[in-house]
Amino acid sequence: MNKVKEILHYPLLLIFAGLILITTVLDLATPAKSFSEMENRYLAQRPEMTIRSLMAQDEDQKYSIQYEEYTNDQFIGRDGWITLKSIAESALGKIENNGIAYGDDHYMFAKMQYFSDLQNRQYPRNISFIQQMAEKYPQMKIAFGIIPNSYAVLWEKVPFGLENINQEAGIAEIYQGITAPNVEKLYFLPLLQEHRDEYIYYRTDHHWTTLGAYYGYQEVVRSLGMEPVSLEELAPLAHEVNDFYGTYYSRAKAYNAVPDTITWYDIPVTSVKVGDEEKGALNDLAQFEKRDKYAGLLWSNNGLTVIKSDNNRYHEDGKTSRILYLKDSYGNSFAPYLTYHYDEVWVVDMRYNAMLSPILEMAEFDQVLVMYNYTTFTEESNIYKLVS
Amino acid sequence: MVFSSILFLFRFLPAAFVLYYLCPRRFRNGLLFVLSLIFYSWGEVRYFPIMIASTLVDYIAGQGIKHFGQKSLAARRGFLIMSVFFNLGMLFFFKYTNFFIENLNAIAGLSIPLQNITLPLGISFYTFQTMSYTIDVYRGDVEVEDNIINFGAYVVLFPQLIAGPIVRYSDVARELKERVITLPMVEEGVAIFIRGLGRKVLIANSCGALWTEVGALGYGAISSPLAWLGILAYSIQIYFDFSGYSLMAIGLGKMLGFQFPQNFNDPYVSKSATEFWRRWHMTLGSWFREYVYIPLGGNRCSPARNIFNIFVVWFLTGLWHGASWNFVLWGLTFFVLLVIEKQGFLQVLNRHPVLSRCYMIPVILLSWSLFAITDFSQLGTFLGRLFSFTGGIDWIYYLRNYAMVLLIGILFSTPLMKKAGDWIEQKTGSRIPRLAGLVLVLVLSVAYLVDATYNPFLYFRF
Repeated sequence: MNKVKEILHYPLLLIFAGLILITTVLDLATPAKSFSEMENRYLAQRPEMTIRSLMAQDEDQKYSIQYEEYTNDQFIGRDGWITLKSIAESALGKIENNGIAYGDDHYMFAKMQYFSDLQNRQYPRNISFIQQMAEKYPQMKIAFGIIPNSYAVLWEKVPFGLENINQEAGIAEIYQGITAPNVEKLYFLPLLQEHRDEYIYYRTDHHWTTLGAYYGYQEVVRSLGMEPVSLEELAPLAHEVNDFYGTYYSRAKAYNAVPDTITWYDIPVTSVKVGDEEKGALNDLAQFEKRDKYAGLLWSNNGLTVIKSDNNRYHEDGKTSRILYLKDSYGNSFAPYLTYHYDEVWVVDMRYNAMLSPILEMAEFDQVLVMYNYTTFTEESNIYKLVS
Repeated sequence: MVFSSILFLFRFLPAAFVLYYLCPRRFRNGLLFVLSLIFYSWGEVRYFPIMIASTLVDYIAGQGIKHFGQKSLAARRGFLIMSVFFNLGMLFFFKYTNFFIENLNAIAGLSIPLQNITLPLGISFYTFQTMSYTIDVYRGDVEVEDNIINFGAYVVLFPQLIAGPIVRYSDVARELKERVITLPMVEEGVAIFIRGLGRKVLIANSCGALWTEVGALGYGAISSPLAWLGILAYSIQIYFDFSGYSLMAIGLGKMLGFQFPQNFNDPYVSKSATEFWRRWHMTLGSWFREYVYIPLGGNRCSPARNIFNIFVVWFLTGLWHGASWNFVLWGLTFFVLLVIEKQGFLQVLNRHPVLSRCYMIPVILLSWSLFAITDFSQLGTFLGRLFSFTGGIDWIYYLRNYAMVLLIGILFSTPLMKKAGDWIEQKTGSRIPRLAGLVLVLVLSVAYLVDATYNPFLYFRF
């Protein structure tokens, strides 16, 4: 009894022991979660103890490393701890976390000051794949565009002194590497810069907004000699999804992030086929209720999506016009606009089990459009599927 | 396993201490031995036999020396040589084989392939620790340990096993046999542990991220101000990382009933390189003094021999820090500075507090550049950035992002913060502000460990 009384004279010891023991017991008693809504990723699960994993030499095969990841990922109150760190960092005047820099007006930007090893390998190859594709299909009309990422357009909001790769020069360099005469190059940067005071990129996500995509679409169809549908005409079809926390947020986990709003247009379609499945609509409305709201647009990324509609303003009777659009996830908000110019819009994401040559055998295309955002283009490892 | 991890704080620590405090006294060393082996083998099971061999070899050496006592000097010497040969041999094999091959290839034009050897965690620390035991027994400075469990507990004692302080057997010989654990001592241990944890997780990691980023940008691609900012950040990182580990070790030791020696004593306020090495990694300095410098003759010999002795110590000190020439260069830089200071410069420095800092602060920053950059051409580029001015705006972003943590690092590098703490305690007459501060540091450290974007273990090559 005396001992118990005596221990009360040592408050630090008491708090320390209490905090460690209680947290440990609660942590052990809490069942593992499979997915983190906040971080938008799957969490590590308890690894299996095998002779192989115990004796492994490879760091990520090691039982000890896997177990440590599991304890970290499943640590009790993980989201709260992360928020606490974010508050402390903000109090210390930090303007970045985990490679995400905090700019003006609550904008977040991924830092890209130099190429990674992967980019150094992949970037020159990707330029040459585009050129090779144009040479392999000399009759094909190809429009090719690199979409700048947010920091390159909203440079005024980027923290002063953060010297990211110059995308204007970078895009010019890519275009220089593509000399085939059947490639029409698309210049998005001037038009997007003109509209940089509008909501054209998400604050908490790496994508352009549906409005940013609209300006991109203007540029594309004008280059192809057509007139875009106006924003006024689209306005009655607009819907908004609030409280979108994007990929930048998932990395930085800033406690004071301001969520984004996703706009989507209820553009009428007659058929949307994702793979072999008829979806009947452009967007996955149920997904807008979930955390990863961007994945609601165009049913997220899929190998082949075919959109058919009666919207085509350039429709010629007795002919079905088709565009083949090879894209990354920036295309998910962009593709629907193309229905106003083609009877069928074939959307291909080569990262998801799709190659160009078998698709070319499935139908005749009046136009091919290849569009990637700058970051993805410099690191993507699936662009070879254009030519293989 | 490292202290600065969720795994240690919320798995190993509670389990180990609950078992330890519940365990009857006579079994505690045995328990410590087992717990320490688990701690050590956690990251790499294949290290386990090394630990056992280490324990056995020095135990046998100690017993052998005792057995032959006065009877045979040759036999005693034989056991000493066996221990030194084993410990240094192991250190050489694991740490310096590839370095040796590289240099041999370069000199003789050979092309011997490099070996795939993983450096066992903390080998530089524990080989020195166990060697100290056998040497001390041989010299008759300490009683031989007959109980292999007690001895094993000393060899693998987890708090100081992987990153120091270098605890000599004589430091803990008495406590291994009989130690009292009191509540004030445990509480003090907790306070020291939390301070160490905060130093590592909150200051060292935060500043270290800047230096890592400077490296990633490339030394040739940064402005001069950013280069200086970077090396300042590294200087803070290495000090807080290392002293943080030492404090955590000392704190854990106290919680177990051991008094480990102090390892750092505000080295960055030193007025000379001589003083710096009395305040930096003190247990390593005293190890080299005790087992290398003095046996070589120390300063009780001709001045030329004395300089040679200093040279040997600093060559070895440099090499001990890593199997690469830049570490040797780093050690020899201190050799040169110490010899210069010995010629009377030291008295000047000690008299002039401002002048001495104008000398020491650049010395500290530049010596860490030698330490941090292993590649000489990279080092050249970096030093070029420091001294031939290159403009740019890149540093503005980094200064804005890191100003506060660097400032906190600088403040805690001086005795000011401790004095401020004492002053507050005296003024308020209450322990609550300090208590609140420590709890805050603990909670924030956990938060930073949960969302760890940068938490390196710097001593993997030690």
